[in-house]
Amino acid sequence: MNGNFICAIRGPVLLITLGTLLAIDQLGAYSFGRTWPALLIVFGLLKLAERSGMHNA
Amino acid sequence: MRRHSVVAPLVLIGIGALFLARNLMPELPLLDYLAKYWPFLLILWGALRLGEVLFWAASEKPLPIAGVSPGEWVLVVFLCIFGASLHAVRGFNSWWPRSGISVGGLDMFGENYEYPIAGEKPSSKTPHIVIESFRGNARITGVDATTVKVTGHRTIRSLDQGGADRANSSAPFEVDGDPNSITIRNNQDRVSAGNVRFNADMEIMVPKGASIEAHGRFGDFDITDVAGNVDISSDNAGVRLQNIGGDARIDLRRSDVVRATGVKGVFELKGRGADVDLQGIDGEVTINGSYSGILQFRNLAKPLRFQGQTTTLNIEKLPGQVRMALGDLTASGLVGPVTLTTHSKDVQFSDFTNSLEVSVERGDITLRPERIPLSRIEATTRSGDVELSIPTGAKFDLSASTSRGDGTNDYGSPVRLESDGRGAMLKGSISGGPTLTIHTDRGQVVVRKASAEDKPLVPKEDTKSTPVPAGPLKKVDQ
Repeated sequence: MNGNFICAIRGPVLLITLGTLLAIDQLGAYSFGRTWPALLIVFGLLKLAERSGMHNA
Repeated sequence: MRRHSVVAPLVLIGIGALFLARNLMPELPLLDYLAKYWPFLLILWGALRLGEVLFWAASEKPLPIAGVSPGEWVLVVFLCIFGASLHAVRGFNSWWPRSGISVGGLDMFGENYEYPIAGEKPSSKTPHIVIESFRGNARITGVDATTVKVTGHRTIRSLDQGGADRANSSAPFEVDGDPNSITIRNNQDRVSAGNVRFNADMEIMVPKGASIEAHGRFGDFDITDVAGNVDISSDNAGVRLQNIGGDARIDLRRSDVVRATGVKGVFELKGRGADVDLQGIDGEVTINGSYSGILQFRNLAKPLRFQGQTTTLNIEKLPGQVRMALGDLTASGLVGPVTLTTHSKDVQFSDFTNSLEVSVERGDITLRPERIPLSRIEATTRSGDVELSIPTGAKFDLSASTSRGDGTNDYGSPVRLESDGRGAMLKGSISGGPTLTIHTDRGQVVVRKASAEDKPLVPKEDTKSTPVPAGPLKKVDQ
């Protein structure tokens, strides 16, 4: 796995996360106002993976 | 080489399909679906993009720098704004129709606690009974007695037993009032909505002469053998009425089914819903609202006035039946004058008397008066075929035309067929008959003799409640 690959899937993964959070919001369990930090976490994880991928490459 | 994403064409196909569905089935609540399920579009979009990148990676093609381009992010933002506002406008407070309030983690982590409820109050023979707004179901039965008796239980969904106990004691169940006017109260309003959720299931025995006024938020009403008026209003309810001696007035913001059998007075229904099934109504029937399911009317002694979103139907008397679904309307045994205006439905009328006026925007029209003497018929469609079967021995003054399409004369003399380039005209009269005017802008026109071998008109769609047996129909063909 290299950094380029992680970079390419970053957008789609974020989009899926966003869609899931909004779906949970509509489900009435947790509002998006409370769950949005999950987006930052996913973004951070992807950045980490990208960096480790670059080191390995 | 520039990679082409499949997402853009798929979006185009999706938008096309949406508009097509809207045009072909205007009564399908597409906007409601969109308002409910739009976040899944984001997930689908992301999944498609992810799949693409994985595919490219697996086939060792060069990968894009960004899986989702800046332009797409802009589209995502627009979609979010559109979806959120549509959601707000359409008034879905939460995902499922049953949860009208946002309850945090209650759905996931809460538990149900049950408490019995009971109450009794002596009454006159004809009390007025008011059921104050509550969540839950009520079954009301008229019996030979002079008491109002309530039994049942309430279910309180709460995160812990203590919360449920507190809610139960702060919202006492009450049966109140004097013998002529009795109020049944659940006091659910006294409990703050966020922490617990109330549901009451009540079995109510009332004197046969009672009249009922019920208000509900979510839940079903089942009312049997009551001689007075019945008045129901609810945000979301299924309603079943049986043997009602007075008038029935029902006002529902949303409903899955409204069924009434044997109502002596007038029947009024307002609001939005799915299925409606009325049978044996002695008073006038007035329906006003938007109903997406199957509507069935049988045996109505007084006029039926139906005003839907795209359909208006008036019938003076209905000894037979009418079945109306999203894309078709089948009616037989009607006493006119009958008028129907609709947007897109295949319409079939058989065995009707007095005048008939049908105006369809898009759909086929099949008419079989079956009885003589005929009355005035006026049927037009903008796009669709029209077929008229004239019973033998009938007098008429026929003018059937199509602006673009073929004409077929299976009646024979005195009806003559005249074709002019793109359209056709069928004309003919037997002295002293009523005018039969039939027109389609685009479609076939067929005029033929009715015969005893005509198969009964059956709805084109499969029915949910009255399945048509497949076996016997086949035998007729042999």
